[in-house]
Amino acid sequence: MWESFGFEFVNFYFVPGIVLGCIYALGAIGITLTFGILRFANFAHGEVMMTGAYVTWTIMALTGALFGWALHPLIAAIPSVFLMILVFFVVDRFFYKPFRKAPTIKVVMASFGMMLVIRSLVQILWGPNQITFVKGIAKPNSFIRELTGSMDMMILVPNKHFLIMGGTVVIVMLLGYLLTYTRIGKAMRAVSDSPDLALVTGIDVEVVIRATWIVGGACAVAAGVFLATDIQMLETTMGFRMLLPMFAAAILGGIGKPYGAVLGGLVIGLAEELSSYPWIGDAPLLSPGYKSGVAFSIMIVMLIVRPSGIFKGRTF
Amino acid sequence: MRKSIYSCIAALVVVSGANADVKVGNPMAMTGPIPDLVAPMALAVDLAEKHINEQGGMFASGEEYVIVRADSMCDPVAGVDAVTKLINVSGVVGIVGPVCSGGTIAQAESVSIPAGVVTLSVSASAPAISNMETGTDLVFRTAASDAYQGVALAELALAKGITDMSVSYANDDYNAGLAAVFAEHYAANGGKIHLNEAHEPNKASYRSEVATLGANTENLALFAYYGSGGITLMRNAMETGAFSTFLGADGMLAQEVIDQLGAENLTNATFTTSTSDESTPGYAAWSALAAAADLNPLGPFVPNSYDAAFMMALAIEKAGSANRDLIAGALRAIGNGSGEVILPGEWAKAKKIIAAGGDINYNGGSGPQDFDANGDVAGDFSASVVKDGVWVGKIIK
Repeated sequence: MWESFGFEFVNFYFVPGIVLGCIYALGAIGITLTFGILRFANFAHGEVMMTGAYVTWTIMALTGALFGWALHPLIAAIPSVFLMILVFFVVDRFFYKPFRKAPTIKVVMASFGMMLVIRSLVQILWGPNQITFVKGIAKPNSFIRELTGSMDMMILVPNKHFLIMGGTVVIVMLLGYLLTYTRIGKAMRAVSDSPDLALVTGIDVEVVIRATWIVGGACAVAAGVFLATDIQMLETTMGFRMLLPMFAAAILGGIGKPYGAVLGGLVIGLAEELSSYPWIGDAPLLSPGYKSGVAFSIMIVMLIVRPSGIFKGRTF
Repeated sequence: MRKSIYSCIAALVVVSGANADVKVGNPMAMTGPIPDLVAPMALAVDLAEKHINEQGGMFASGEEYVIVRADSMCDPVAGVDAVTKLINVSGVVGIVGPVCSGGTIAQAESVSIPAGVVTLSVSASAPAISNMETGTDLVFRTAASDAYQGVALAELALAKGITDMSVSYANDDYNAGLAAVFAEHYAANGGKIHLNEAHEPNKASYRSEVATLGANTENLALFAYYGSGGITLMRNAMETGAFSTFLGADGMLAQEVIDQLGAENLTNATFTTSTSDESTPGYAAWSALAAAADLNPLGPFVPNSYDAAFMMALAIEKAGSANRDLIAGALRAIGNGSGEVILPGEWAKAKKIIAAGGDINYNGGSGPQDFDANGDVAGDFSASVVKDGVWVGKIIK
């Protein structure tokens, strides 16, 4: 049915892998920054992704009801980002800050509790049923389909995937600028490398922590909205499902290294999709039922061979 | 001071003991992958509770029949948690539920069978449940086994002239069991299965799966829960053009599927489910009651849920006391095909016959509900297609 060379591989394995990797990458940025700067694994991160997508949907639905036209998800996501940053601040102030000096396991458990609290609140507010984000099915972009089709290498990518890939590139470039050229970005990297040394040089650690929540929150909402754009629905465990691969991506890239998280996300996303490509014969190389196992195998091998990750991040 | 607190507590215990309600645990997947399907099932259980209490409650003393609900989330771990709490903390007499096969098997093996408590599932249909017990007789269900539904679906596929398919099933007890029965029967009767692959539920993308499965055929037999990947997989299959025809079962039969994918894209999708034979007096009685309560009498497993809650009450009444050990025997006594026929809602009549020492035989809205040696019941199935934006079912013989 699909004759031209590489057609099936690119359209059904490679591009979906990149799209999934982009979503993992954005989520992993927040996780790796929190891990590097606050030194704990934030289990509530996936729920912030999910809540951000729900708030975005609500804003879209509200504008749709009030003015008759719904905002584009990317625009509706902006107020949602501010709201989720506020949520992060409140959660940090009342649930994480009291444990700042305590052993790490306490704040990890606090974040686990917050994960359940946030999810239950969303279930109370929006209900446990799925919500349709965008109805119908997304057909491949017809212009590119025809253009590439005439060159005998038909590319089938729906617009939503161009949006996700393009959006991720823009966000990662902005993040790169922030971390490399701004004062607060440099302070964040300094705290991530050595909090004590950063403190003696006069960096206000609390300000850095707030900046971490802002960056992490913005990326989390972007990841949540992109995920909702891709699967076209909202569901209260959608963030949690992504959490473990995102942790794998953060560890793979190196804890505290945002670029590492991006690379790790792409590697995990691609590995999951490519593992079931029929490399040998007609059947998938590995049953798709074991996709998640692929992500974790990579993570475990990495932890054994090179615990600091690709980008030489923090080890514990 | 402390003494008075103790005496207060003691008094409370005595008071609540005197008004002892008959408590039955009802783990339902209120959240999780199929909340849309479960909500009306839970309402049906509540409706049975209401009918029983309106018509005199339990036993001669008129004790209240109380449904204690818990969320089993369609998940084995959550199912075990929910039932453990119901049995150990709430002290329920029996379990009506859980919804999903995975949760039912897990809770039965690790909680309810060791505790000697009867499980009467409302919708668990995995073939594996038939033979899961050795030496005990504690697991029953009011939904027919997928050993039959898989066969019905395979025959439906062949009758539609579909000669080759690929099979994709979610990796859990219900979907894997159904897929195995379907694939075996379909292949044995001349159908060709290209690929039969499990998929991991809850993934964000199934594009690689549908590409591999769809390399040689346009027909997909999909066994999944709509909320944990089923809709996403169908969407990916349509977006990539890998499949045009879909067949499947109950787990996908939700309005949500139409709302999200659009009715115009589902012209070639058929899903089967357990249904009721509308010509029986049991169904007539049930549909009147359901209509009065604004419930769809033919909703997937809605009559089965009512029947389970009602039969559990009948069994406890028949046993004569809220004693866990007597329930299994009593359940067999009211569901063995002999005795005076009791239809849905006829609680006062049943109570009177039991008080007089007579035998009753419950015939429910979902079928005659006569248990075989494994605690299974026979059932009818329907095939649903989209018509005017909703699923419309038609019984298949």
